[in-house]
Amino acid sequence: MQRRRLLAGSAGLLAGAALARHAVAQSPTPVDLPFANGRRSLVAFPEKRPLIVLTSRPPQLETPFEVFNDGLLTPNDAFFVRYHNAGIPTSIDADTHVIKVGGNALAKPYELSFSALRTQFKPTEIVAVNQCSGNSRGFFSPRVTGGQLGNGAMGNARWLGVPLKDVLARAEPKNSARQVSFNGLDIALFGGGDFVKALDIAHAMDGEVMLAYQMNGADIPLLNGYPVKLVVPGHYGTYWVKHLSEIEVVDDTYDGFWMKTAYRVPDNDCACIEPGTAPKSTRPIGRFNVRSFITSLADGARVNADQPTAVRGIAFDGGQGIREVAYSTDGGQSWRGAKLGADIGRYSFREFSFGFTPDKGPHELRVRAWNRSGQSQPMEALWQPAGYMRNVVESVRIHAA
Amino acid sequence: MTNRSSVLALALVATALATAWPTPAPAVPKRIDLPPDGLQLKPSALPGFERAQAHCTACHSAEYMAYQPPTAARPYWDAMVKRMKGVFKAPIDDADMPAIVDYLVKTYGNEQVAP
Repeated sequence: MQRRRLLAGSAGLLAGAALARHAVAQSPTPVDLPFANGRRSLVAFPEKRPLIVLTSRPPQLETPFEVFNDGLLTPNDAFFVRYHNAGIPTSIDADTHVIKVGGNALAKPYELSFSALRTQFKPTEIVAVNQCSGNSRGFFSPRVTGGQLGNGAMGNARWLGVPLKDVLARAEPKNSARQVSFNGLDIALFGGGDFVKALDIAHAMDGEVMLAYQMNGADIPLLNGYPVKLVVPGHYGTYWVKHLSEIEVVDDTYDGFWMKTAYRVPDNDCACIEPGTAPKSTRPIGRFNVRSFITSLADGARVNADQPTAVRGIAFDGGQGIREVAYSTDGGQSWRGAKLGADIGRYSFREFSFGFTPDKGPHELRVRAWNRSGQSQPMEALWQPAGYMRNVVESVRIHAA
Repeated sequence: MTNRSSVLALALVATALATAWPTPAPAVPKRIDLPPDGLQLKPSALPGFERAQAHCTACHSAEYMAYQPPTAARPYWDAMVKRMKGVFKAPIDDADMPAIVDYLVKTYGNEQVAP
C-alpha cells in the first residue's frame, strides 16, 4: 500500500488495487452479446446508469445498444467508459486542477489552471462521435483477443471546450515541433505503461482538436475524463485522453508503448490483412471509417406482417459527413435510398429512416452508408489482428407474423 | 406598479439573475466510489491459480481473462503475462510465469478441459 500511495503522487485518491475487493451478488439480469463467451453483467458505476461491464477494474463499460435509438446524442450516464490502467483518480478537485504545457519544442512552457482554461480562452462547441478502436471486436471472425466488445463502445456528444491550437499558441511552439503528447491523471500502478498518446503537430493545431470541459451541457462524468478531456473529432477514442494534465510539444516522434506498440493497424488502404496472418508494417490508428446501424429493430425482432414498419438508425464517419444511406430488406439483393435526418455536424451521428411493409416470414435488413468522399462499408467484414476498425455492412434479421 | 407587483418583479429579476449567472459550483472535489470486482479468478488445482491471484488481480479484475474468446491460445497468454512484467513492471518472478500461463490457457483459453 505504501508503494502505491507513493506512486499515486499528485493524482489524488486512486482506485487502490490493494483494497480488499470481493464479489458481490450480481442481481441484474445479464445480457448475452451475440458471440461465444459473450455473457455480461449490467452494473451502475458512479454517475452512470447500468451499463454492460467489460471489466470492473479498471472500468470498461459498454452502452446497451438500445440507447442509440433514444436520440442522436448519447446521454452522459450511458456513455461508454474505457480505461487502460487501474490507477484511476477517484477524487478530483477541478479548482486546483492544472494542465502542464511543456516539451522541448515550446518557447514558453506554462501551467494552465482549469479556471484559466475556462475564463481566458474563447470556448467553442462541436458535436462529435467518440468510438473505441476495438468497438465490435467480439464479432471478428476468426476471433481475436482483447476486449470483447459488442457494438456499444461508441457515443455522440456535444462537447464544449477550448481549441488546443489556442492553448498551444500561448506557449509559442518552435519550428522544430513534430508531435504533441497528452497525459492524464490516470496512472499505471507499478509505473510502467502510463497511458500517453500523441498527435502530429499539424493535427494538434488544426483548430478542431479541443480541450473539452463540458459534455452535453454538463460536467464530464468522472469516468469519461472530468474535469477536462481531449476531444479529437473523427478519430478513435484512444486519442481522447481523460483527466488531461500534461501536454508536451516535442521535436521527435513520441514512442511510448501506447503509440509505438499498441493501437496500430496494418499500414495499407483497408487497414486489413488475410485472417490469421501478420501485417508487414503498421501505423498508428487514425480516423473512423464509415459505419451505419439500424437502431429501432434488434436482431431477432418480431414485427406485424402486412403493416407498414418504420425503421431508423444512425450513420457516421471520420468527418467527411454522411452523404447517403442505402437499405435492403432482402438480404442485400436490392437496395434503395433511406431518408437522411437533420445534419447536426459532420462529426456527429446522422439519423436515417425508411419504411417497408413486410410479408409474413423472415426478412434480413441491411444498411450501408457512404460519406462525402465516396467511402463506404465492405459487404464482407475485413480482418486485422488487433480487432480494430470493424465496419462491415450490418444485418438485422427480423420475423413478420 | 403596485407594491405587490414590484415585489413580484424583483423576485422574477432575482430568478433571472440566478439563471443567467449560476453561482460557481461549490469548491469540493468530485469523489466517486467504485463498485467491487464483478468476477473473481476461477479456482483451480493448477499451481498457477494462486500465483495468478497474487500477481494478476492485484492490478486488474478477472474479466480481462474470463471474457477472452475460448480460442485464445497459449502464445497469447504467454505474451500477455510477459507484457505485464515487461511493459507494466508487474513484480512477477520469471520462475512463476510458466505456471501462470498454464493456469490461464487451461482455465480460459483453448486448452480448457470440458467440464
